[in-house]
Amino acid sequence: MSLAGRVAYREELTRLAHQHPEIVCLEADLGGAKHPFQEAFPDRFYNLGIAEAAAVDCATAIALNGYTPFFSTFAPFAVLRSAESIKLSLAYMGANIKVVAPYAGVAGGWFGTTHHCLEDFAVIRSFPGIRILAPYGEEETREMVRLMVGTPGPFYMRLGRNGAYASLDGERDSHGIVWQGGSDQGVCLVSAGEMGTVAVLAAREQRGDLAHAHLCMLDQPALEIAAQAIAARCHTVLVVEEHRPMGGIGSALALLMPDCRVHSFNCGEKWPNSGGSHEEVLESLGFSTAALLEKIDTLTAAMA
Amino acid sequence: MNANTDQLAMAAPNPAIVQLQKKVRQTIVDLGATPTGCHVGGSLSVADILIAAFISSDREQGDEVVLSKGHAAAGLYAVMHHMDMLPEDPAVGYGRRGSILTGHPNHKIPGIRFSTGSLGHGVAYAVGWALARKLKGDRRRGLVVAGDGELQEGLCWEAFQLASAQRLGNFVVVIDRNGGQNDGAVDDISPLENLDKRFESFGFRVETLDGHDIDALSARIVAHDLTGDRPLAIIAETVKGKGIPAIENNPACHYVVLKPAMAQKWKESMA
Repeated sequence: MSLAGRVAYREELTRLAHQHPEIVCLEADLGGAKHPFQEAFPDRFYNLGIAEAAAVDCATAIALNGYTPFFSTFAPFAVLRSAESIKLSLAYMGANIKVVAPYAGVAGGWFGTTHHCLEDFAVIRSFPGIRILAPYGEEETREMVRLMVGTPGPFYMRLGRNGAYASLDGERDSHGIVWQGGSDQGVCLVSAGEMGTVAVLAAREQRGDLAHAHLCMLDQPALEIAAQAIAARCHTVLVVEEHRPMGGIGSALALLMPDCRVHSFNCGEKWPNSGGSHEEVLESLGFSTAALLEKIDTLTAAMA
Repeated sequence: MNANTDQLAMAAPNPAIVQLQKKVRQTIVDLGATPTGCHVGGSLSVADILIAAFISSDREQGDEVVLSKGHAAAGLYAVMHHMDMLPEDPAVGYGRRGSILTGHPNHKIPGIRFSTGSLGHGVAYAVGWALARKLKGDRRRGLVVAGDGELQEGLCWEAFQLASAQRLGNFVVVIDRNGGQNDGAVDDISPLENLDKRFESFGFRVETLDGHDIDALSARIVAHDLTGDRPLAIIAETVKGKGIPAIENNPACHYVVLKPAMAQKWKESMA
């Protein structure tokens, strides 16, 4: 049984903390009443209350004292409430802080616009020096937690809410890509983040001959490497991401692949202000399997 | 020597400290006479607080001192220079192309760990420092010097709430209460009524002191029980432009670009 990303994060961090006494877990009142880290290591767990900017500033001092603070709260608050602290501490000062942000995109479903964050890639990517991760499925999430524990320096990791997915088969190659076969001559689907990958997998059930490049490392240096590898194999690329077009991964890859045709399937510019499940809110933004297939078919026809 | 003369001797200014104060103020005026000028008024008001904070702290052993009102960088640089933490005379490079001595302090400067200037962040950072040292078990002090205008930032109160909630007796905030801010007087813009009571209601021990009495400030900082549950707030009553009669208490001295002749005149006017 696969675990949701945020649950897998908590479990893996708690597991690693047995061998890593330097790990400190920080929450801003959205970690749940029975956080496994708190139960295992109450001395190294702090619910700092609803004070997101202060939490990142505090984490800076904690990091400078030799600890590895992981700070987690919902993406809209982690990214937007703490944006200036992230700019100064993680990016400018390079503090060894890991920000972990569930509820990214519209994973909050019916909770409404205040609890959505379709802007996190745009904001965090604009701060140089922060590694950005957006894993899909339990195993990849655990792998990325291990990466963060083992790698000094600042990270931002985007997670969803309750969706539980088995990670993709296949190894990540030296360019950070998990490839799924298909023809290099057709549209290459590039998935970023959890629901981008869900959408691509759904589309490939019906258009299985298309190549799929799954990316979960999305900062500029990682994308520069990935872009070269994708451009070497494919000419027409469709980036699928649960994000706005502005500042998303599609726009980044378009600049990095000037000799390719880079298109984006994303959540557009509307506000996600209606209720419904995660999938239903995505659909209200035009992000559905049917719409993705239509986009793929349009691009395929144009290539003929 | 009878008791009265003992007290007089204790109250007499320490000549070394007086000399240090004078040198620091001269350097601040020199910084005001650089091509960019600097925040002279607030640097002069906070200088004695910074001297007291550094005298009271052992940063190599784990104490931290952070100037959250980073616009008073000239005051910090001058104090660090004359207390042997910054070898170069800051007035030489300050604000110039290629110099790390920017108008707000940054972590690239040896001796400064946290970049400040966007107000409020230094307060939360110092709370984090106290939290980390409590976790380490040595309870070394996280001390922040904040401006009174800076307290209009909500982030400060998030941080004070946190210091209280985490029972950080090893957190100390010193407020440079000079009554001024960028656009005028704090009282005219967003007053800080009952500031002492605000801190008390947040669970702090509170002391109001003369912000230019270095002995009193450092004695109070050192006397505070770092192992207790209650953080300490010192409201340091200061004079904006302190030491330069021409600008003392004049809100217009917030940011000054001085001509060399005027700088010389100001330095000569110092007591």
